[in-house]
Amino acid sequence: MEYFKSGLKSVLGAPPPGNQPSGADTVERLVDRLQSSSLLDDRRDACRALKALSRTYRLEVGTQAMDALRQVLEMDRTDCEIVGLAMDTLCNITSPETFEAEVENYGPKNKIGEQFTEIFIKQSDSTTQVLAFLEEFDFRVRWPALKLLTHLLGNRPKDIQEIILVSPLGVSKLMDLLSDSREVIRNDALLLLIQLTKGNANIQKIVAFENAFDRIFDVISQEGSADGGIVVQDCLLLMLNLLRGNISNQNFFKEGSYIQRLTPMFDLPPETDENPLSGWSPQKVCNMHCMVQVIRALVAPGGPAQATAACQRTMRACGLLQALCDILMASGVPADVLTETISAVAEVIRGNTSNQEFLASVMAPSSPPRPAIVVLLMSMVNEKQPFVLRCSVLYCFQCFLYKNEVGQTQLIQTLLPQGNEAASLTTGQLLCGGLFSLDPLSNWFSAVALSHALIDNSIQKEQLLRVLLATNIGKPPVTLMQQCVMLLQQGNKTQCKLGLLMLLCRWVSHCPPAVKAFLTIESSVAYLTALLSSQEDTDDLQETLLQSMCALLLGLCVHFNDDSVPNYTKEKLCHLIENRLGLERFQDAIGGITRHEIYSRTLKHPQPSTKDPSDLLLDHEFCRLLKILEGVVVKSVQDGSNPQEGKDPTSTLSPSDSALVSQYKELIREQDAQIHRLNQTNETLAKEKRDLETQVYELQTSISHLRDQNLVLRAAQINLTEAKELVPSVDTIDLTNVELEKYKNTVRDLENRLAECTLNLQKQERTECNSNNSEYEKLLKEKTLELEKMKKDQENLLELLTEQDSKLMQYKEKLVALGEKVNRIRRKFRRTRYRRAARIQQLKYYRRMFNSITGINFRSKMKELFIIHGIISSPFKTIFNQNYLDQSIFY
Amino acid sequence: MSYAYLFKYIIIGDTGVGKSCLLLQFTDKRFQPVHDLTIGVEFGARMITIDGKQIKLQIWDTAGQEAFRSITRSYYRGAAGALLVYDITRRETFNHLTTWLEDARQHSNSNMVIMLIGNKSDLDSRREVKREEGEAFAREHGLVFMETSAKTAANVEEAFINTAKEIYEKIQEGVFDINNEANGIKIGPQHSPTSPGGLAGTGGQGGAQGGGCC
Ligand SMILES: Nc1nc2c(ncn2[C@@H]2O[C@H](COP(=O)(O)OP(=O)(O)OP(=O)(O)O)[C@@H](O)[C@H]2O)c(=O)[nH]1
Ligand SMILES: [Mg+2]
Repeated sequence: MEYFKSGLKSVLGAPPPGNQPSGADTVERLVDRLQSSSLLDDRRDACRALKALSRTYRLEVGTQAMDALRQVLEMDRTDCEIVGLAMDTLCNITSPETFEAEVENYGPKNKIGEQFTEIFIKQSDSTTQVLAFLEEFDFRVRWPALKLLTHLLGNRPKDIQEIILVSPLGVSKLMDLLSDSREVIRNDALLLLIQLTKGNANIQKIVAFENAFDRIFDVISQEGSADGGIVVQDCLLLMLNLLRGNISNQNFFKEGSYIQRLTPMFDLPPETDENPLSGWSPQKVCNMHCMVQVIRALVAPGGPAQATAACQRTMRACGLLQALCDILMASGVPADVLTETISAVAEVIRGNTSNQEFLASVMAPSSPPRPAIVVLLMSMVNEKQPFVLRCSVLYCFQCFLYKNEVGQTQLIQTLLPQGNEAASLTTGQLLCGGLFSLDPLSNWFSAVALSHALIDNSIQKEQLLRVLLATNIGKPPVTLMQQCVMLLQQGNKTQCKLGLLMLLCRWVSHCPPAVKAFLTIESSVAYLTALLSSQEDTDDLQETLLQSMCALLLGLCVHFNDDSVPNYTKEKLCHLIENRLGLERFQDAIGGITRHEIYSRTLKHPQPSTKDPSDLLLDHEFCRLLKILEGVVVKSVQDGSNPQEGKDPTSTLSPSDSALVSQYKELIREQDAQIHRLNQTNETLAKEKRDLETQVYELQTSISHLRDQNLVLRAAQINLTEAKELVPSVDTIDLTNVELEKYKNTVRDLENRLAECTLNLQKQERTECNSNNSEYEKLLKEKTLELEKMKKDQENLLELLTEQDSKLMQYKEKLVALGEKVNRIRRKFRRTRYRRAARIQQLKYYRRMFNSITGINFRSKMKELFIIHGIISSPFKTIFNQNYLDQSIFY
Repeated sequence: MSYAYLFKYIIIGDTGVGKSCLLLQFTDKRFQPVHDLTIGVEFGARMITIDGKQIKLQIWDTAGQEAFRSITRSYYRGAAGALLVYDITRRETFNHLTTWLEDARQHSNSNMVIMLIGNKSDLDSRREVKREEGEAFAREHGLVFMETSAKTAANVEEAFINTAKEIYEKIQEGVFDINNEANGIKIGPQHSPTSPGGLAGTGGQGGAQGGGCC
C-alpha cells in the first residue's frame, strides 16, 4: 500500500512525508471493510469513518477508496445514508480547496483535488450516477450530489459540461433544483449553474429553454429584488452568463417579455433626509452593477443591428430607459453606480432615434431646470469629477450623436450667432468652454465630443466654419478653427493637441470648404510640416500619434483640396510634402498610429476607457476614419507628386502596393507561425493518441484476463450449487481446483505484467540515456526473483492443496460417520465462498487502481513510469500471500 | 404584448430539409436560399390568434446533423408541439422519420402534438416521396400532416397555426396540465393561473366546462 502513496506523491511532485502508518493503515482496513462486509451497517460505519478521515488523509483515502466508493454509489444506491456518506467523502477528496494537513507536504496550491477528479470522471458513468442522485429528494443525497458535481465542474469544467450535455435530461435535473424549497440546495444550484453555463452556448440555450429566466426572476423577487442579498447577485450573474454574446437567448429574453421584469428592479431606494447614501448598501451596489451589465449585454454595440434595435425599443417602451434616467438625475447615487448607469443609458440610446430624442427631453431637477444632457456635459468638463464618470459621459454623448442628424444639428446650432441671446447654458457653450479650458483632459473630451457632431454630416461641418468666438475685448472675433489652430501651436499638453487634431481631421475630411478654411489660416501648414520634419523616428507613443495625426491632416488637405487656395493647391502641397519630408517619411508618419497596440484596442470598442487619464489619447471613431482614409490619402499624395505615370519602369510597385505587399508578407509570416504551432499540436496529439492506444490495449488484455477468471468462477459456482446438496466434500475438491485455476491465472497474469514491465523498461532504455541501465536491470532481476518466489509459493500451495485433498477425504469419511456434523461443515463452507468473493473483489480493485494510476502516468514523465512498475507487482504479491494465509487459516 | 397562452415548439428532422427556412418564413416572411447549417439550436417567436385569443409561439429550431442529436434531445421535454420535417425531394429524409419519431416519443411528454411536414412542395418535378405516402405515415402514427414550401410560403402559416389549434383543443379538453411548465405551455401574465376554465372566455367554443366567470 505504501507504494500507492509514494506513487501518487511522485505524480504530485511532492516529497514523501514522514510516514503516518496509523492513518494509512486505518484507511486500508476501512476500505477492506467497506468492500467485503456483507452487513449494510458495517459498510455504513466504514464509510462514515472514511469520510471522517478524508480531509486529514485525503491522499490515502483517495488512492485506496475511490473504487470502493464508486461501488457504494452503484450497489448501495437505495440506501440514502451510505450514498450520502460516500458522496461526502468524494466531495472531500475532489475538493479544489487545499486542506490544512496538506499544505506542509504538498504545498498550498497542490492539485490533489483536480487529480482525483480526473480519476473519478474517467469512468463517465460515475458522473452520470451523481447526476441521477440529484433526482433523489432526500437531503442526505441531493445536497452532497450537488456539492460533488460543483467540485467536479470546478476542477474539470469542459469535461463535465460535455458529460452533462449528452446525458439525458442532465440540464433539466439541475434546473429542477432551482425550485427546491430548501434554500441551501437552491442557492448551491445557482452557483453550480453559473459555473456550468460559462462559455458554453449550447448549455446556455438549454438552460434558457428550461425556463431559467422565470426561475431566476422568481428567486430574485423572493429574495427582495435589487435590495436582496448575495443570492440576488448570483441570480443576476447567471442571467448575465445566459445572455452575454448569446443572440438566441437574447432574442428569447426579449420575446419572453423579461426586459419588462427588469424595470421595477431599477426603482430608486426611498430617499432619507439624514443619510442620502443609506439606501445603497455595498450589496445593493453589487446587484445594481450586475443589473446594468444585464441591460448592456442586450444592447451591446456590435451585436446584430436588428436585435439590438428591438431591445432598445422595448427598453424605452417599458419604462426601463426612464428608470435609468431617473437614476442619472437622482441625488445620492454612488459614483460607480452612476458611471455604470450612464454607460448603460449610452448603449440603450445608441443609434436609436426615438431613444436619443427621449434622452434629449429628460430634464434635470435643478434650478433653473436644465436638460439632462447639459448637466452630464457639465460633469464631463469638470476636473473635480471622477475620471471614469467623465469618460462615461463622453460615451453617452457620443452614443447620443451616433447616427443622429437632428442631435448633431442642434448641437452646432447652439454655437452659431443667432441674435437672440440665449440665457441658459447650452451644450455647445459647454464644449467650447471645455475646448479652451486649462485642463487638457477637458480639452480632449470636448474636442472629441464636438468631432462626433460632424460624423457623416457635411452640412454641419460647413456650419461650424461660421462659428465666431469673441476673444479679448476690443480685438476682432476669431473663427473656431482659427482658435483651434492657435491652441495647437501654443505649447499645450499633447493630450490637448491630439484632441484638436482629431477634431480638425474629422472637420476637413469630405469637406473642401473646411480644407480651404484651414489652409488659409496663417502658418497652419507650416506648423504641420515643421512638426513632421522636426524629429526622425521616435519611440515615444504620444509623439508618434502626434506626427501621425499631423500627416493625416496634411494628407486630407491634399485629398479633399479643390484648388481654391492658390498657395496650397493639391499639386503645390504635394511638392511641399515631397521636398520637405519625402514621400516615404510621410507615409511612415501617417501609418505610425496603426502600429501601436492602443490603435487596435481603441478600434475594438466604441467606449473610451483607460485606467489612467493621461492614457486617453485616441477616439474610436477617429481610428475608423484613419482606417478608411489612410489608403486614399497616401495615394493622392503619391499621385500628386508623380503626375506623369509609370516614369520608373523598374519600380512597378507603387508605394501603396508595396505597403500592401508588406502587409501580405506579414500575414504570411503569421500564418506560417500558426501552421508551425498547429503542426506541433498535431504531433503532441498523435503521440497522445499512440499512448492512449497502448493503454487501451493493456486495458483490453487485463479485461480479457478478468473475463477468463470470471468464466472459471462462474463455472465453479454452477458446479457448487449443483453439487453442494449431495456431497459437500466433492464440492470442496472442486473448489480447490478452482482456486488452483485462479492462482494459475494470477501467475500467468503476473508473468504478463512482468513481460510488459520488461517491454516498458526496454522502451525506456532506448529513449533515455543509459545512465539508469543498471538500476533497471536490478529491478528486472528483482522482478524475476519475485516471480520465482511466487512460483515457489505456488508450488507450496499445490502441495498444500494435495494435502487438503487427502484431509478432505478424511473429512468425508468422518462425515459419513458423523452425519450430524454435515450442517456445521456447510456453514463453514458458505463462509469460504464469501471470503473468496471478497478476495476477487479486491483483486479487481487492484487491477482498476493499477489502470487508473498508469493512466495518469502515461501522460507524465517516463521517470515516474519507473516508479509505477514498483507499484504494480507489490499488491499482487500481497494478495497472493494473503490468500495463502487465509487458506491456511481456514484449514 | 400580452398573450393568453404561450406554446413552446420544436422543429426537428434531417439536415437540409428546410427547418430553419420554415421558421424564417414564419417569423420574418423571408426565404433564405443558401443552406446555413444550424449549430445547436436557434430561437424564434411570433404571435398568432386562435379563436380570438393571442397566442405566443416560442420556437426552437434544432440542428438536423447527427452530431447535435443529444443536444436536440434536451428540448423534447418541455415542448408542447413539434414540427417533424422531411424533404419531399429526398427519400432518405422520409425514411428516417421512424427514428425521429421514436426519439421524440421517448423523450417528450406524451401529449406533445406532432405535425408531420413534407417540405419543398414547390419542387414537384424532383419529388421522390408521394403526398399519399406522407399521409399514410401520418395516419399510421397519429400525426397531423401537411406539405409546405418554405420558399413560396405555401402552407407555412397553416402548419404552425394548425399545430397551435391542436394544442389549444387539447387544453380545452383538459388533456394538458397547463400549470405544469414542463409541458411547454404557459398562461399569459394577466390570466389567472389557477382557473383554466376561465380561459375558455367568451369565444363560442361550447365544449369547455365553466365559461368566462368574470
Ligand atoms: N426549393 C426549396 N428549397 C428549400 C425549401 N426549404 C428549404 N430550402 C432549401 O434547403 C436548404 C436547407 O434549408 P435549411 O432550412 O437551412 O435546412 P435545415 O433543416 O435547417 O438544416 P439544418 O440546420 O442542418 O438542420 C437551403 O438551401 C434552403 O434554401 C423549400 O421549401 N423549397
Ligand atoms: Mg437549420
